[in-house]
Amino acid sequence: MDPNATSRRTFLGLVGSGALAAGLAACGSSGPTSTPGSTTGGGAPAGSGASYWFLTGQPQQGIREAQVKRFNDANSSTKLKTTEFQNDAFKQKIKTAIGAGQGPTLIWGWGGGGLKAYVEAGQVEDLTGWLGQNATLKNSIFPSAFTAATVNGKIYAVPGETVTPIVLFYDKRAFEKIGAQPPKSWGDILDLVPKFNAKGIAPFSLGGQSRWTNMMWLEFLFDRIGGSEVFQNIYDGKKDGWSDPSAIKALEEMQKLIKANGFIKGFSSITADSNADQALLFTGKAAMMLHGAWTYGNMKSSGGDFVTGGHLGYMNFPPVDGGKGDPTDTVGNPGQYMSISSKASQADKDTAKKFIANNTLDDATVEAWVKSGNIPVVKSAKDKLSSITDKNDSEWLNFVYDTAANAKNFAQSWDQALSPTQAETLLDNIAKLFQLSISPQQFATNMNAVIGK
Amino acid sequence: MRVRKLLQLNWFGGLAGWAWLAIVLIPLYWIVVTSFKDQSAYFTQNPFALPSAPTANNYQLVIQSDFPRYFLNSVIVTAGTIIPAVAISFMAAYAIIRGAGSRFLAGVNGLFLMGLAIPLQATIIPVYLLIIKMRLYDSLLALILPSIAFSIPLSVLVLANFIRDVPKELFESMRVDGATEWGMMRKLALPLTRPALVTVSIYNGLGVWNGFLLPLILTQSPDKRTLPLALWTFQGQYSVNVPAVLASVVLTTLPIVILYAVSRRQLLSGLTAGFSR
Amino acid sequence: MVLPALLLFVVFGVVPLVGVLVLSFTQWDGLGAIHAAGLSNWKSVLTDSQLPHSILVTFEIMILSWAVQTPMSLLLGTFLAGRQRYRAFLAVLYFIPLLLSSAAIAITYKALLDPNFGLGAGLKIGFLTQDWLGQSNLAIGVVIFIVSWQFIPFHSLIYQGGVRQIPTTLYEAASIDGAGRVRQFFSITVPQLKYTIITSSTLMVVGSLTFFDLIFVLTAGGPGDATRVLALDMYKRGFMSNQMGPASVIAALIVLLGLALALLLRRLGGSTTASQQEGA
Repeated sequence: MDPNATSRRTFLGLVGSGALAAGLAACGSSGPTSTPGSTTGGGAPAGSGASYWFLTGQPQQGIREAQVKRFNDANSSTKLKTTEFQNDAFKQKIKTAIGAGQGPTLIWGWGGGGLKAYVEAGQVEDLTGWLGQNATLKNSIFPSAFTAATVNGKIYAVPGETVTPIVLFYDKRAFEKIGAQPPKSWGDILDLVPKFNAKGIAPFSLGGQSRWTNMMWLEFLFDRIGGSEVFQNIYDGKKDGWSDPSAIKALEEMQKLIKANGFIKGFSSITADSNADQALLFTGKAAMMLHGAWTYGNMKSSGGDFVTGGHLGYMNFPPVDGGKGDPTDTVGNPGQYMSISSKASQADKDTAKKFIANNTLDDATVEAWVKSGNIPVVKSAKDKLSSITDKNDSEWLNFVYDTAANAKNFAQSWDQALSPTQAETLLDNIAKLFQLSISPQQFATNMNAVIGK
Repeated sequence: MRVRKLLQLNWFGGLAGWAWLAIVLIPLYWIVVTSFKDQSAYFTQNPFALPSAPTANNYQLVIQSDFPRYFLNSVIVTAGTIIPAVAISFMAAYAIIRGAGSRFLAGVNGLFLMGLAIPLQATIIPVYLLIIKMRLYDSLLALILPSIAFSIPLSVLVLANFIRDVPKELFESMRVDGATEWGMMRKLALPLTRPALVTVSIYNGLGVWNGFLLPLILTQSPDKRTLPLALWTFQGQYSVNVPAVLASVVLTTLPIVILYAVSRRQLLSGLTAGFSR
Repeated sequence: MVLPALLLFVVFGVVPLVGVLVLSFTQWDGLGAIHAAGLSNWKSVLTDSQLPHSILVTFEIMILSWAVQTPMSLLLGTFLAGRQRYRAFLAVLYFIPLLLSSAAIAITYKALLDPNFGLGAGLKIGFLTQDWLGQSNLAIGVVIFIVSWQFIPFHSLIYQGGVRQIPTTLYEAASIDGAGRVRQFFSITVPQLKYTIITSSTLMVVGSLTFFDLIFVLTAGGPGDATRVLALDMYKRGFMSNQMGPASVIAALIVLLGLALALLLRRLGGSTTASQQEGA
């Protein structure tokens, strides 16, 4: 007797009947139909109170912790429970938790396309009416910050935290070493690359594994070469928006810089979450870095005398010769956003609203943001700037404030503005573009395929 | 002499053997040495040098970040998976062998065989949906139940192979003495398949202990984290602090290494018994 | 007696399997309601340029890791089958990588291979300061190396067990015929280990479909999509792009691939895992 033969027969027979069973199940009504989590009452298990997840990373983390502490000290019966995540982990976890109907009461996010997906799935509260009742809170915030919080004319999130444009940072010492001036145009940047490489300094630091870091480059090149409408068309779902001649030129210029070894060796295995990209700048291994304004605080605290010794320089991204974009334009995060889970119990929703109203943009918070080198999203931020005594901090804050306030157009980061489906495809293709494994044309074709999805 | 005959390719094999040892040990040595360095020493010292000023701060940092809690979760999930999984697989294997000829049992056996070829990863989306529907999301039970299910196919197969080897005459003589099937299973099959039970427990246990995808998708609260997931989040928090990250690697692996050191013999013979008989 | 195992396996094994098929015909963003979508997911996934690439990477890693692991494990297994004390000691040490979780291994190697702060930079050895995880081919090489580092010991032990069961009379007969060691290895050891090779290969090949944890932590599928195997492609589509439907199509393909490979290896004359030679 050969046991193998018999078991192979039963094995094959089973695969057949398995497929049959699947067919029957698909015809029946046993397929999943109801909304996941629609039956679960509260966000977190009932009776555990309101919950709040936010990101780690100093100095932001400390400020968020302090907000919660103040709230909990004042409201000992309705405390907020917090969980802290690192950026990448947060992005992974928040979706599965919300999908399971067990998201936190307070949903921290970046607004835009991600928020829209929550709205369409009925996962977050409409806060338009509540903000109407809390006019003082609403009017204290920069009006422009509400754009990314609005879906179909209704407000689903309250802007909070900070205005963080993307800034071109540089190490003044590195420029002294090669005896050159900071770049005033895209052409200057390309000229600087071989000079730095010859001195053994990487021209630009980049945490390429995070992918959104690479994206910041494209955001500026698209804008400087073709103006703000190039991305606006894509955002509005215009057919073949990515094939705009300016877009293709921007992609070509990008690859030109990569081919010229403009970025640090091994950039695609460096993550921004670990701040290793910042470390490369302040340890002198790289001369420049394009990054969010939020990195200033960490470079000041971890970078030795890099900031305090006045070695850090910064500027808005320089213009491209012959480009159509307004040189004052900037990109980045017009704020961070807090939504309230529609799956939470009424009591927890009220707790969360109270926290937003009393503790997210209170005086103590605004003070703390400014002290840490950030511009909070409130109109009163300007008045706080004069109270800063540290020369470096004061210069920096005024620069950030002016960059944000004087920008003819302040575009939201692409991966936040677009839908999650488009954003993920975009990040994937950006990684390939930086790997030089696809051409600008292929990039445009791949991206056009998901426009409007 | 049997031994001498077995030493095929002696010098070549020996060379490969020692070379492989180096490949295995160098990274392990580096992990341990680095975990006792402080961050500045890590950037300045030769990576293979012993720490000039050994410090246990990294370990302190890791243990203070709720390590005991994650350790306990991993223990609960592993034990909670393996004990029931091995018990029910043993019963099923016994039934399949003793009930040879039954079409139903042959079908069940075929189903389990098919299960061998199905990677758990491929079913994660429906499992996620199922766990949500069962209201088990973010509980340790959410990790245990699918883990049990995916431990069954291999366990049944290995155990059935062992039970098959029990001489039929023994069963016959016990039945003549009036023993029930349950009695025979306990008194005859169980003691004779002990090595196989160890094998499947270890094999599945390692898989569950080190599992990453299920905790990633099916849990969210920090107090439900298992070690591999904790390691990942810890790496995110401290990734510039390589020594601290490596200390967490050492701590998450240490319990298994101790267990291995204690029960090495059984482990080595057990682990492969089911595969190379 | 068989019922508890059957019940659990059906609920968490078979139902999800059917679920994968059902979900592949639906549209679900993982957040809201699930809608029927007919064949649209299948159409979009099967015509999408990502799929052939993911399949290619999956097979590349599967075949190359098999090709590295099998000869090495055979050699080491034969060597370890010797009865000297020191060989037993080696076997003990060999085993350690298998105790580490893939997440731990990935984290370790990530730090070890960092071009700016890793081993190469520390030792000032140019060869080791490659952009290991930033170049497509190097990244695949690193994945294969790590997989081998992790699993060769296990397969060596399987072969060790197999070699020890080869009747010594065969070797004695060969010696009398004047066959040298190398000749004996290829004409006796390898053919005698046929079933063991099939078993070990099945574990390697079907196991390679599940390399998720390692790659997820090590490169997240990067650089670009150089290491995006099917399992990772599924995860990214489902849990990052909010497209559970297309992700389920990929999952269904992984299941089919697993079944096809297992069947293929059975046809080669072995059984799926343990050899079922009754008193062979």
